[in-house]
Amino acid sequence: MELLVLLSSGIGQTLGITFGALLLGSVLAVPLAALRRSELPAASTAAKILIEGIRGVPPIVWLLLIYFALGETDLKLTTFQASVIGLGIVSTAYIAEIYRSGLDAIPGGQFEAADALGMPFGAKFFKVITPQAATVVIPPLATFAIGLLKDSALASVIGAQDITFRAFQEAQANLNGLTVFMWAALLYILLSIPIAALARYTGSRLTRKVAA
Amino acid sequence: MNFSVHNTPLDTPVPGTGSTAGTAPILELRDIRIEYKGHEVVHGVSLTVQRGEVIALIGPSGAGKSSLLRSINFLEQPSAGQILVNGQQVQGQAGRRGAIARNKALATHRRDVGMVFQQFNLFPHLTALENVVLAQVHSLGRNKDEAVARARQELAHVGLTGHEDKYPAKCSGGQQQRIAIARALAMDPQLMLFDEPTSSLDPELGVEVLNTMKRLASEGMTMLVVTHEMHFAEDVADRVVFMADGAVVEEGPAEQVMLHPASERAKTFLSAVRGR
Repeated sequence: MELLVLLSSGIGQTLGITFGALLLGSVLAVPLAALRRSELPAASTAAKILIEGIRGVPPIVWLLLIYFALGETDLKLTTFQASVIGLGIVSTAYIAEIYRSGLDAIPGGQFEAADALGMPFGAKFFKVITPQAATVVIPPLATFAIGLLKDSALASVIGAQDITFRAFQEAQANLNGLTVFMWAALLYILLSIPIAALARYTGSRLTRKVAA
Repeated sequence: MNFSVHNTPLDTPVPGTGSTAGTAPILELRDIRIEYKGHEVVHGVSLTVQRGEVIALIGPSGAGKSSLLRSINFLEQPSAGQILVNGQQVQGQAGRRGAIARNKALATHRRDVGMVFQQFNLFPHLTALENVVLAQVHSLGRNKDEAVARARQELAHVGLTGHEDKYPAKCSGGQQQRIAIARALAMDPQLMLFDEPTSSLDPELGVEVLNTMKRLASEGMTMLVVTHEMHFAEDVADRVVFMADGAVVEEGPAEQVMLHPASERAKTFLSAVRGR
């Protein structure tokens, strides 16, 4: 029980890194997905190269790159901030592809109907396209978020004080690694369950409307 | 030619009228050409539509009827030609996916021209009522209450009172198409375009839609209808335009074109479709 309390002190950083990176990725992925779907071949090719480039590098390498690269500058980043940025970059590439698949799933007739009604871009995008794309995007986005929660353990390598970091410290101090990491594993499971449940709930609510 | 960004009064008078306003036809297409990837599918079609006229656009598949119709509100970008509404030239830009309403002139034009699609293209995440309300609020700037009242009125107009809260997926094809017609009518269009509105419907459900269209015609709505429904062309249209291979082969009063076609191409087509 004491162990659980000790490990729980890392929950804040684990969740902070996960949701920070997810938020950063969700926002930056919007322009990247737009670029990827651009009619200009140069823009879509550039976006594709960027996405493949980001995805081609292991997340842990990204974390180390950001950590050391920013260490060279005058920016004083905490390990937490470096982790959010590193995993945020990785998330951007994956989420951009998720957005793109969501937009690709919408029939061209939906864009045409909105255009034929003279709807301005904002209304077309937010009232017609996004609500429909959301049903396609949410399930893979939730899967990605759960994956990211687990990948956030990598941040312990650069010293972010998350669950895994706490477990490492405890295991090294008291040589009780097996027990400690079993508790850590349980903690990760407990954290991922609500994310999955929330995603299922939102997804089914949205789908029920459209597929009714 | 390039289509730029403004509605501009045309300097040259409309041929045959000597004036640009008042007497000008509601819609005039001049020498419209449409290309797909360098391959021309509509070869310079001109067409004049007077207010209150119902025109059926018939012809074999691949004749360019739908492309021509879709070019009127720039869902297809004409590669050349002029489109005039009430004597004013409309100019628009389109992207790969139809178009982003990049400029007000194009958006305004599109609000004036109602469009009904073969596949209905209702918004599946909105109820029948919300489908009819959405563009009134976001394109016309009507307030919500007014838009809702108008939507109820238009849904009643197409015989769908009691279906306001249904999602499209819960409606039959005929009901969906009538919701789509109500959605277009709520925008107070000057002109309605129908792109094979009954082609994806069972004949029985198609009748509901055709009856709705007949009523609109009798109320004086200006309509341009691409159709394979020969009875509709014969009974409802004032004029029939027969297209083949990207060009108008024959046009004239409905009775003349449908019953006594002059061209061999139209004779062949009509006897084939009537023989079915």
